[in-house]
Amino acid sequence: MRAVRTALLLAVLFLILFPIAWMALTAFKRPVDLLGLSLFFTPTLDNFRTIFSHPWNIGRTLWNSTVVAALTVLIAIPAATLAAYSFSRFEMRFKTGLFFLILATQFVPAVVVVLPFYLLFRDLGLLDTHWALVIVNLAIVTPFAVWMLKGFLDAVPAESEEAALVDGATRLRVIIDIVVPMVWPGVVVTTVFCFVLTWNEFLFALILTRDDAVTLPVGITRFRTERGDLWELIAAAGILISIPMFFLSSIIQRHFVTGMTGGAVK
Amino acid sequence: MAAIDLHDLTKAWGNFTAVKRQSLAIRDGEFMVLLGPSGCGKTTTMRMIAGLEEPTSGDILIGGQRVNDLAPRERDIAMVFQSYGLYPHMTVADNIGYPMKLRGMGRAEREAAVRAAADKVELGAFLHRKPRELSGGQRQRVALARAIIRRPRAFLMDEPLSNLDAKLRVSTRAEIKHLQHELGVTTVYVTHDQIEAMTLAHRVAVMQGGEIRQLGTPEDIYDQPADLFVAGFIGSPAMNLLAGEIQDGRFTAPGGIAVAVRVAHRGAAVLGIRPEDLRVLPPGQGDVAAAIYTVELTGEATLVTADVGGARLSARADRGFRAGIGSAIGLALDTSRLSIFDPGTTLRIKDAP
Ligand SMILES: Nc1ncnc2c1ncn2[C@@H]1O[C@H](COP(=O)(O)OP(=O)(O)OP(=O)(O)O)[C@@H](O)[C@H]1O
Ligand SMILES: [Mg+2]
Repeated sequence: MRAVRTALLLAVLFLILFPIAWMALTAFKRPVDLLGLSLFFTPTLDNFRTIFSHPWNIGRTLWNSTVVAALTVLIAIPAATLAAYSFSRFEMRFKTGLFFLILATQFVPAVVVVLPFYLLFRDLGLLDTHWALVIVNLAIVTPFAVWMLKGFLDAVPAESEEAALVDGATRLRVIIDIVVPMVWPGVVVTTVFCFVLTWNEFLFALILTRDDAVTLPVGITRFRTERGDLWELIAAAGILISIPMFFLSSIIQRHFVTGMTGGAVK
Repeated sequence: MAAIDLHDLTKAWGNFTAVKRQSLAIRDGEFMVLLGPSGCGKTTTMRMIAGLEEPTSGDILIGGQRVNDLAPRERDIAMVFQSYGLYPHMTVADNIGYPMKLRGMGRAEREAAVRAAADKVELGAFLHRKPRELSGGQRQRVALARAIIRRPRAFLMDEPLSNLDAKLRVSTRAEIKHLQHELGVTTVYVTHDQIEAMTLAHRVAVMQGGEIRQLGTPEDIYDQPADLFVAGFIGSPAMNLLAGEIQDGRFTAPGGIAVAVRVAHRGAAVLGIRPEDLRVLPPGQGDVAAAIYTVELTGEATLVTADVGGARLSARADRGFRAGIGSAIGLALDTSRLSIFDPGTTLRIKDAP
């Protein structure tokens, strides 16, 4: 029984890790070593040098991705925090319906709305700009952020907030001084989630950008040339995409362990 | 400092009414204690005064001004929450200093104020801890210090001493009483503890089921309970209540109890007498013959439970009193301190003029 379980786990682990390992190895291989599965090759940083130089200039797309993801998160998280707080603490008419509606915007497949978005941004003159991507990503990310944050906020008892209100704080002060610190782990986790979602967004970036605002995931597709797929360069760019994910997942881990046990004090 | 007036204040959730048309005029500088069993609406009343709960109907006036539509911070009230409501991510010092920080008090001045408030509740040594590193009683004192650091128009204290040990409770109680006297701040104070109610209050409001059953000075409430509920709720051990009847100015009950009463009422009646108004005498003396059921030593007195014709009466005897279970005694009633109730309406029947 135990052996079966171990075997199954190993199989799943292999399925998940193999492509990542392959990518990690390929990124450091010379093109001649590419198709061998051998672990013994002369590692090189040439691939990274290549993608950062002309004509690939991956540095530009890296910058674009960073700007778009950072701006998106910077706008989405405060806005979502306020919205989630209202849903969590205040009574309003049609509350359940409204709350559901927020997520319902995500039920429409992206492919269906990508063309209207294209026309919209064309008319606004926003095609191939950071703002176009930020706006689209906000529409994708904010509903999830509201839902996640409301879950975290619901778990925080209201008494500390009430104490602060009586102590003389305005509602906004209460949110900044009391609520956000108390749900900080939840805010961090939500931020990371939204960042990752934006960082990896592909379809809209593909359609709405051409040269200036191209992001990393779209940039990678350029390594599929008429001369064939440049796998070693794809892998090197893939490493670049993944690096923030490794850091962010370790942040999440730490906050889940230390944070969620904190909670309120009776 | 301000008077607090409640006019027909009602709070209902669905078809459950927690506070029923409550009217209460709390005078400027008064120490008002709300006393009552669990779930009778004490906290709900406080929360409405603080602005944390919206009344279903009725008005709240602070200093003559209607405050129903004011936010809590605009009411200038300090509150000690029943479950503390501390800020878990702040140190004890920051918790206590938060109201002053909101009021823009400078750091140095604030630190001095925090220290003074913390010292009043013996928390000086814990200023750098987080609430989760404190015991329940210490947390409660943080909540108290956070209130008394302010000079608000009114204090609302919801069982602020419930988690303290006996010694600390006595000293903190004295501290609160002194502070309230010194500052003259109108105070509404919730407690289950009668000693607290008796020692602190200018007036006590005894509540039950969302209604005020009696409002009066501690002496009034203790000596002249307005109804059977108050009679049974105040006092430990509780007032003895004997069912019997009154004929021709005499109350009689099974077991040979017969005492002269000064009420005009005739027919069924309940006689109430406090344990300390019953004197334990040798057999054959006093008004009633009784047998000892139990004897309990409480330290400052001996509590005697006596059997009188099947009814149990408690009497507070001298602390040197000793007797075996079953032995015969006599009981004398202090007839100047009797209470008579109508068993139908449960209300107290006043002495005839
Ligand atoms: N938010 C609420 N929704 C519904 N019912 C409530 C709510 N808050 C309180 N109640 C009810 O109102 C009644 C009064 O509650 P309250 O907290 O005022 O009692 P209390 O006198 O303070 O009791 P205790 O001495 O146990 O603290 C209780 O029966 C309680 O169940
Ligand atoms: Mg209560």
